[in-house]
Amino acid sequence: MCSAISSLMFAAERGDRPAAEALFAALYSELHRLAKRELARPGVPVSLSATTLLHEAYLDMAGRDGPSFPDQARFMGYAARVMRGLIIDHARERHAQKRGGLFELTSLDTDDVENAVDQGELARIGEVLDELGSVEPALAEVVDLKFFCGFSFGEIAAMRNVSERTVQRNWEKARIYLHRKISADLSL
Amino acid sequence: MPTLSPDEWQAVSPYLDQALALSEDERGAWLDALGEHSPMLARQLTELLDEHRVLVQAGFLEKGHFGLPSSAGLAGQTLGPYTLISPIGQGGMGSVWLAERNDGRFERKVAVKFIHIALMGKGGEARFKREGSILGRLAHPHIAELVDAGVSPTGQPYLVLEYVAGEHIDRYCDQQNLDVEARTRLFLDVLAAVAHAHSNLIVHRDLKPSNVLINKDGKVKLLDFGIAKLLEGEGEDGAATLLTVEGGRAMTPEYAAPEQVTGAPVTTATDVYALGVLLYLLLTGQHPAGIGLRSPADLVKAIVDTDPTRPSDVVATAGPNGEQTTANAARRTTTPDKLSRLLRGDLDTIMTKALKKNPQERYGSVTALADDLQRYLHHEPISARPDTLTYRATKFVRRNRAVVALAALTVFAILVGLMGTLLQARTARMQRDFAFQQLKRSQEHDELLNFLLSDAAPRKTFSVSDLLTRAAQVTEKHHSADALRRADLLMWIGENYSSEDQIAQGRVLVEKAYQESRALSDRSIRARASCALADCLSQDEDLVRAEALVQEGLRDLPDDPRYALDRVACLRIGSDVARQAGHAKEGVARMQAARRIVEQSPVATDLLKMSTALDLATAYADSGQNSEALTEFAQAGSLLSSLGWEETETSVHLFNNWALELDQIGRTLEAEQIERRALDLTSGGNSGEASTAMILNNYAKMLRKLNRLDEAADYAQRSYEKAQSEHNQLVTGQSLLERARVAISQQKFTQASELLSELEPQMRKHLPPAHYAFASLAADRARIALGEGDLALALQFADQSVALGEAALKRGGQGAFAFPGFLLNRSAIELASGSLAPAVADANRALDLVKANTQPHSPSSTLGYAYLGLARASDAQGQHGDARAAAGLAFENLQKCLGADHPDTLAARQLAGLAPVHP
Repeated sequence: MCSAISSLMFAAERGDRPAAEALFAALYSELHRLAKRELARPGVPVSLSATTLLHEAYLDMAGRDGPSFPDQARFMGYAARVMRGLIIDHARERHAQKRGGLFELTSLDTDDVENAVDQGELARIGEVLDELGSVEPALAEVVDLKFFCGFSFGEIAAMRNVSERTVQRNWEKARIYLHRKISADLSL
Repeated sequence: MPTLSPDEWQAVSPYLDQALALSEDERGAWLDALGEHSPMLARQLTELLDEHRVLVQAGFLEKGHFGLPSSAGLAGQTLGPYTLISPIGQGGMGSVWLAERNDGRFERKVAVKFIHIALMGKGGEARFKREGSILGRLAHPHIAELVDAGVSPTGQPYLVLEYVAGEHIDRYCDQQNLDVEARTRLFLDVLAAVAHAHSNLIVHRDLKPSNVLINKDGKVKLLDFGIAKLLEGEGEDGAATLLTVEGGRAMTPEYAAPEQVTGAPVTTATDVYALGVLLYLLLTGQHPAGIGLRSPADLVKAIVDTDPTRPSDVVATAGPNGEQTTANAARRTTTPDKLSRLLRGDLDTIMTKALKKNPQERYGSVTALADDLQRYLHHEPISARPDTLTYRATKFVRRNRAVVALAALTVFAILVGLMGTLLQARTARMQRDFAFQQLKRSQEHDELLNFLLSDAAPRKTFSVSDLLTRAAQVTEKHHSADALRRADLLMWIGENYSSEDQIAQGRVLVEKAYQESRALSDRSIRARASCALADCLSQDEDLVRAEALVQEGLRDLPDDPRYALDRVACLRIGSDVARQAGHAKEGVARMQAARRIVEQSPVATDLLKMSTALDLATAYADSGQNSEALTEFAQAGSLLSSLGWEETETSVHLFNNWALELDQIGRTLEAEQIERRALDLTSGGNSGEASTAMILNNYAKMLRKLNRLDEAADYAQRSYEKAQSEHNQLVTGQSLLERARVAISQQKFTQASELLSELEPQMRKHLPPAHYAFASLAADRARIALGEGDLALALQFADQSVALGEAALKRGGQGAFAFPGFLLNRSAIELASGSLAPAVADANRALDLVKANTQPHSPSSTLGYAYLGLARASDAQGQHGDARAAAGLAFENLQKCLGADHPDTLAARQLAGLAPVHP
């Protein structure tokens, strides 16, 4: 399954739509598995942020897949998109069943999620991001990396080999796009 | 508000880029110009930019960072002696937790810094270790101290740092309304800390107010050597790029020196620049690059190109910032004019020199900067000013001679004091460096294990010994290039085999490590290998070679604090070897030496303290120093629980030895409880391994003494079977003896006799003929003969046991604990034979011996039995008063040590004429 990720990634980049879907599914289960593994590890003495999880996933898969594995920037682009899906699914499930869900999120971070955005809004952001992804993919990716995964502008800039300023501008543009779409919904 | 279609967005997007790059002021004109050509586009952009303003105001999407599992869940977890309380920071590098010591020895809050898992195994780990080793080099009152370092049970490296609850220096100065002089004095402490780092060839590189805290006592504490740089001995290649990319915080632009921005080499002058910025900020309340720097690009330009405004001019500037300059001056308890006058001259010159763009033109060292500030404070001429005659003259007039003389004296006193601290610091530093070397080693071990457990392990369950076999194979194949590392890993694997009771396999590896280490010059590895081999050999009872190896190992170690921990390791093994060879006092002496080193070492971990206490306790117990032994056992026990190590093999070892000591001094009930813990840990516990034969046998012995005979028989039998299946001759013999004694107590005399006959040839084979164990054998035979009614034979054996016991005592002092038992045994037989006077005499002699060896006011079943023996003999002689008194004392001791329901306790109570407690 994992060795397939790099070939799926290449296929997705050539515009192969089923490959893109398979890639999403594969990364989803991989990140899910990693998160569960990390959570099951007794007494892991650091918090496991989305950023950490993505780094871990990259190291893990790159390690297994060898030198042909896509570079970190490309990997993060896809994985961040998947992470968004994980987080939104999680918020949804939490909403549905109050407790439990995909991961066992406990107080601190759950509060963060809930204080930041309610789950309906989160899901809506996800949809609008998908839309933005088809219009201007680079903008959607910045939101995935920054908002959902917690990377800093500096980290994103380094990852994509652009200036921090460009990242920041993309972030502002993406925010305008999302805000406009979402507040348009709300005013309906 | 119509939403934009994808096409509309595509069209507007490049213009949005342009607009966002402009400042708010510039945008208006730009939009107007655009509107002339494309009014539609300009309108859309205006709407979008308005929306941007709204969303920025609302902080739209600014709260994100969905953590997955909770970091709050870690609160309350323990890490060695520290309990995590709450997270206090999280950065690119990892997280920092507030924690406190939980061993109750002293209360102290600390900061525990973890590396981010994502960075483990990458450059980040190296950086993390480096922060530790950098801090380890620094011991200074104004630098947050490195308290401890370690690797968590999950392999997570962590640093334990002094926790500084305090304010950023700039806020502190403002809150306290400190004047220029007080601020300068405080700043001098910062300089002292940085100078200390520089003298250790360390550049901080990230000096800024948030890294300079003032604690509750008003003391400066410099923090965060996370990106500090070692000026030598460190591979520079790529380090800088790694820092920038991975951390995203390699420097703080506001405090960065031009060379940091342009990528030129970083030197101590880089810190001088940052200190210049800090001083400028403290004294003027403003940043040298000016107020309202809009973008990082502007800031970079200012850092590289623009000379800062003179401090005295900045604070005087009225105009748009008039209010702020007044407020700034007020926080310095002065007015803008007076502040400007204060700064004009020396302070202007000093700051300007520190902030020179060209590193060469700055102060050559932090000390030079500090010297000038000192001179300023003492109204002496500063070095940064051209040394003209008039200048010196004005200074001379203002200078107060007495003050100068006093200052000179103080400087001298400080110098003298410093020599002392420097020496101490050097020692501490070496020891810490050493500790980090150890940390690195343990990480290599962890890495190897991780490799074996994850990537290399087949998908099936495997035992620890499978794992060790694989480890040995992997090590022999893959690490042959690095001889030192290979020897180290072989030794480590070999030692782990030993603790898995596979002594022979382990010994082969350790012998290999030893042979290979002979070609190495690293004294630590050489000594460790010698002593590790000695340890293996002592388990094989090759005590002569073991002793020679211990001495070789100790000789290899120079008397240098860096080798303190190696010395401790060798002394511990040496103590064990000496004790096995029967040199109990030497065993104690070696452990006492080890304990002294551990107490003096700043890097001794609680784990090391615990195992030292445990070994010292065992040594004391061996040499009959019972109360010392019990104190050390209790100490080891409390350290063990504070470490959270209650379920490890070490605790099995501790509980077993502790229980044996309690048993030997006659506190049988307590002994049984503690041995039970050892037993529970080994039977079907987490290891899945069955209990060791030795522990089963020890437990059987305690049960027998408590008159739980059926259970005792069962455990003794299990011990015997296990020892036989493991070809463990020592424990096979011991369990045979125990089974015989249980049989005697069960009055199965024929069976007991057979068991002893099976045992005796083995004893003759392994023990010297005069060993006190033969006295004990005779005593057991005497009891069998007594049980079978052959009084003459019983007396003959009893005499033999007392004679053998006396002879053994005269020769080497061994078996002292058992001797009163032989006397009491004979007394009972004499009593049964009607020889009342000898019975009383033996009982009295036994009682005197036991009393001499028992702590006053400490209950003991041995003492109880001595009184009971005397009571019985006296009673038979018709001395009922004496008998009752002795029986009363017997009852008291036996009740506490064996329980109220024990037949001997009941017998004592009856003899004492006491009424039954419960009918």
